[in-house]
Amino acid sequence: MKRTLISALAMTAAVAANAQGLPELQTGSDWFQAGETTIQELIAREQNTGRAKNVILMIADGNGVGTNYATRLYVGQQMGKLGEEHVLPYETTDYHSALVKTYNINAQTPDSAPTAGAMNTGVKQRFNLINLGGDAIHDDCSTVAGNELTTFAEMVAADGKSVGIVSTARLTHATPAAVYSKTANRNWEDEVPEGCTAQKDIAAQMIDAMKSGLIDLAVGGGARYFVPKDSPTANGGAGHRPDGLDLVAEAKDAGIQFASNKAEFDALSMDAPVLGLWTDSHTSYEADRPDSEPSLTDMTRTAIEFLSQNEDGFYLEIEAGRVDHANHAGNFARTAADGMIWTEAVALADEMTNDEDTLIIVTADHEHAIAFNGYCGRGTPIQGLCFGISKTGDKHSNELNLADDGKPYSVISYANGSGTILREDMDYSGQRPDVTQEEAMDVDYLQQALIPMSSETHSGEDVAVYAKGPWAHLFDGTIEQNVVFHVMNHAVNAE
Amino acid sequence: MLKRRTFLTATLAAPLLMRAAHAAEDPIKLRHLYDRQALSDLAKASEGKRIAVDGYMAPPLKAESRFFVLTRRPMAVCPFCETEADWPSDILAVYTKRIVDVVPYNVKIVSSGVLELGAYRDPETGFLSMVRLVDASYA
Repeated sequence: MKRTLISALAMTAAVAANAQGLPELQTGSDWFQAGETTIQELIAREQNTGRAKNVILMIADGNGVGTNYATRLYVGQQMGKLGEEHVLPYETTDYHSALVKTYNINAQTPDSAPTAGAMNTGVKQRFNLINLGGDAIHDDCSTVAGNELTTFAEMVAADGKSVGIVSTARLTHATPAAVYSKTANRNWEDEVPEGCTAQKDIAAQMIDAMKSGLIDLAVGGGARYFVPKDSPTANGGAGHRPDGLDLVAEAKDAGIQFASNKAEFDALSMDAPVLGLWTDSHTSYEADRPDSEPSLTDMTRTAIEFLSQNEDGFYLEIEAGRVDHANHAGNFARTAADGMIWTEAVALADEMTNDEDTLIIVTADHEHAIAFNGYCGRGTPIQGLCFGISKTGDKHSNELNLADDGKPYSVISYANGSGTILREDMDYSGQRPDVTQEEAMDVDYLQQALIPMSSETHSGEDVAVYAKGPWAHLFDGTIEQNVVFHVMNHAVNAE
Repeated sequence: MLKRRTFLTATLAAPLLMRAAHAAEDPIKLRHLYDRQALSDLAKASEGKRIAVDGYMAPPLKAESRFFVLTRRPMAVCPFCETEADWPSDILAVYTKRIVDVVPYNVKIVSSGVLELGAYRDPETGFLSMVRLVDASYA
């Protein structure tokens, strides 16, 4: 309160000092006042140079600067705002930020495995590999031995911290796997090629890590890779493991608690490690999630409560994996719904922890081939068609903008993907469908795309990183993605 | 000007058109057959009835087939070709009257047929469906 008062006084003084000679319509404007408030908040920022007891690395998969922009507008519009002015929980001046270069050693366009690996080991990696050094080759098991990198989880677990993983993707998928796995192929989720003895499959590595005490909590999707082929999973489907191992049974035998739905998850005790597998593959999109399945915020809450019991602290990686999948589908409505609950999970993690001892890092692994058309008026629904700009007031004209073909167009386009306007039966020529606003706002609508591809692609465009807590101020400028690890490592070891 | 031939065609086609119009009057969206991951009340109430459903034809599992999968939104990848577990749960198996003339995955179609509920494994592809349209046509 005291600080707020001083800031307010300082602000008033600053405005008075610097605004001499400016007309009242300028200095009295809300924009002017808000601008002054922002710089005072920035001036009042303090650098936290303490040691981080806890680190929470929050990755919204595929949530680059563009996707995050669209999510901001969507969330704001859900709250009844025009949208553009909305501030996501990690977009306040409480958070330091930087731009991040996401390319892989051998790829201009990154994939999620080496990007998450870079954040977890401090070195960039090769496309489709996880936590192997630069000499390792994709899909070549013989290059595994001797190339294994040490992960941040392994380092902090050795110091007595607990480690947790939360994901809406399969727990064996690239981003969560980068916490614990070392593999020459990100797709070796439940089997390795015949004769490959240098590594186990990713699911087996995860259960080994839980049994060894490296991982204390792992919750998300992907049960089929932990259950023998053709055996039932707890989620009603069938297992997929060709080796016939029942890793869920193995985990239970090792004293790890298992849950397959929200009721079981809520009933767990807090005194033994936790394995939660809600679905056979990825968890449901947030737009489709049944109540029986824990949400990203449900998982975040329990994970932090559970891990906070360790007086030595914890490392928790939280992934919103399906932001990426909905972008791959070219279906922004689902990207937005998963993005929205992601922002709620960030707010919750912040609320449940103390800035003094907890470094929270909010970022993405890569961007998508998402683009934004113009010129749309304020408040145009971000997933829908572009309305024109009104000459008066601030809201759009309520009249659809038309392209040269006389048809309206959505704000968002994807450069490629299954929303393509080109048709195979027309020798890959085509024309844009005439779409109504109602159709474009439908949850199943695919924004129009150009290049026909079975799955919309990532892009190499930068992502942002936002952080608060010990040493968060080290995030500044434009950095390489592996620097994320170095900030975490510096923060947990600071004297 | 109404020519005689046009008039005759229109008159003769009327009963068919009427039926088609009834089915196509307001095709339901595929997702309305589901309530989250369970069957919707609408699906249960429509069992055995002829309904029209809009959606997209997933790339067929097999050539010269009388079977295709209708999806809620365009799916360029044939999920079945990758792994059976990657099918979305909310799809509709369609058994057609005629051999399927493939429609590109990104073109919206309306399928009309008799709604069948309950597990059925396709003898040719091994595809297990819980909801189907049979005796179906599409346009």
